[in-house]
Amino acid sequence: MLLTKAGSSARWRCSSRHWMLILLTALVAVSVVSLLIGAGSVGPRQVLGLLSGSDHAEARFIVWELRAPRTLIGIAVGVALGVAGALLQAVSRNPLAEPGLLGVSAGAAFAVSLALVLGASAATLRIPVAQLGALIGCVCVLSVARLRGVGSDPVRLVLAGAAFSGLLGSLSALMLLYDQRAADEIRFWVVGSLAGRRLDDLWAVLPSLLVAGAGVVLFARPLAALSLGERAASGLGHRPGLIRWLAVGCVALLVGAATAIAGPIAFVGLVVPFVARAIAGPDIRRTLWFCLPIGPLIVLTADIISRVVVAPSELPLGVLTALCGAPVLIAVVRAKRLPML
Amino acid sequence: MRHTLLQRGLLGMLMGGLLVGTAQARTLETAYGNVEVVDHPERVVTLYEGALDAALAAGVTPVGAVTTRGGDNVAEYVTDYLSAKELEHPEIVGVVREINIEAVLAQQPDLILAAAQLPEEQYQLLSQIAPTVVPHTQPLAADNWEAEARLFGQALNREEAIEEAISAVDQRVDAMAEAVAKAEVGENAYLVRWMPGGPMVMSENLIATGLLERVGLDVQGGELIGERGVHSDVLSLENLSQVDGDWLFLATLNDDGQAALDSAKQSPAFNRLNVVQNERVVPVNGQLWSSANGPLAAQAILDDIENALLP
Repeated sequence: MLLTKAGSSARWRCSSRHWMLILLTALVAVSVVSLLIGAGSVGPRQVLGLLSGSDHAEARFIVWELRAPRTLIGIAVGVALGVAGALLQAVSRNPLAEPGLLGVSAGAAFAVSLALVLGASAATLRIPVAQLGALIGCVCVLSVARLRGVGSDPVRLVLAGAAFSGLLGSLSALMLLYDQRAADEIRFWVVGSLAGRRLDDLWAVLPSLLVAGAGVVLFARPLAALSLGERAASGLGHRPGLIRWLAVGCVALLVGAATAIAGPIAFVGLVVPFVARAIAGPDIRRTLWFCLPIGPLIVLTADIISRVVVAPSELPLGVLTALCGAPVLIAVVRAKRLPML
Repeated sequence: MRHTLLQRGLLGMLMGGLLVGTAQARTLETAYGNVEVVDHPERVVTLYEGALDAALAAGVTPVGAVTTRGGDNVAEYVTDYLSAKELEHPEIVGVVREINIEAVLAQQPDLILAAAQLPEEQYQLLSQIAPTVVPHTQPLAADNWEAEARLFGQALNREEAIEEAISAVDQRVDAMAEAVAKAEVGENAYLVRWMPGGPMVMSENLIATGLLERVGLDVQGGELIGERGVHSDVLSLENLSQVDGDWLFLATLNDDGQAALDSAKQSPAFNRLNVVQNERVVPVNGQLWSSANGPLAAQAILDDIENALLP
């Protein structure tokens, strides 16, 4: 009996390791493709030519100054949104909780738009503003989630989030009317994109990503205990209230950082933990590990598609993730039974 | 028999009355059929930037007008013109796509000049307020403004003033074309609007690009724009070299063109263009260059071109 249990656990671990290996290989492959392909005329042949010593200035510039930063930023955004989604789902115990759907991204985007209209334009100011907006969005949505009747039904929380996002969207539209000249800059904050972002932006948000990452490592264990129920968690010596607030703080840091560099990108936080859970099972610790490669994988794939479908222009990344993510949401909701977290 | 005679008599009187009426009014051929306008319109409302421009060029100051695109007032070159001539500024009666019918009514106009794109439902409302003149819709072309200005000139009963304004533009264009050819400043140009994600290439069928062509610069980028489009989609930064010509006119809706240029220069992909390195990027006012039209707009655009090409 004991032996079979140990055996199955070992097999699980083995297959889990295989999965991780496959995902990491896929991530490396997608990152390479992301360097090779773009909306411009520089294709795989010219880029590979660089390796064999060709002196194609245009290709060198496009790969190192445009595609490489974009790929790195895509990886960071994917990690941030994937982990934030998994955390938010664990904290709200709702498999549909997603930073984009629940209005956390909208909160960040709204805060930045407000700052822009009030005259701010410095890149350094943007990130704390976005994170503050994300935090306020988080708190609003989670307090709604604790209202009677909403918390018990996952779909209602999404509806509350949609209403909240709609409210923030209309306020942003109001600001557009108020100041039409800021419209061009704000339009970017309505639909997210990785185009034209610079590495400086990434370095600016890296500290908050690292802080959030360290936080996640510290409270992953109590967070897993929380999934047993608040009483069980308290019985194990954890403090559910504190864990919840720490997790919310991390979600705000992660989503605020991702939104500050790429604008609001919806559905990534829903799809990534969904896939990760399918591979890793219900344990939040394992889910979080798998979110690390799956997030960037999905964001980079979407970004590559967004570059080639309407070349020589580009589709905003946020539009593409919404197009692909919405069917997933419907499929998850329509599946006979939502997994309880 | 007597009955029909009476009818005929009444009809004749009616016809006579109509004839007397038409003697005082003039009939114009517009997109919505023949429209009768008064001989000397005094309270004119313009619902189109080209109509405002043409009216001013003809010497009529409208009492009401719509805002320029992306602004909350008429275009800057118009306010400059009004201030220079110490004319009354028109009341704002909405934006081109959203006309405030009540504000139009409040002006009690005797003539309304509108854009070719005016929807029929709006025309029905407006024509109850005052005779409404709508030019025929034409495919986008750089010289559409001339025919439109002529129609508006007719409506205002000031054909001559409009003809003079148009030929003044023609003469200036010819003189500048000669000077540009002599100065050998380059061959081609692009007009783009700079967005945070990249540039939108503007059509060669706008009044501004048409004037650039006429003074001797070959305006390029038409293949990036759909057949009826005014501008392309936002071009990927990877394709910036596609707008790298001898001149780059950078239209911006911001107050400060230089600030827009500086923000574009933050992008390394923009900075490495030859046209940027050669300092041949000209920030221009997007209200004037991509939204306005008419003889006064043409003169203002020519001012910009002259300052850039023939300093």
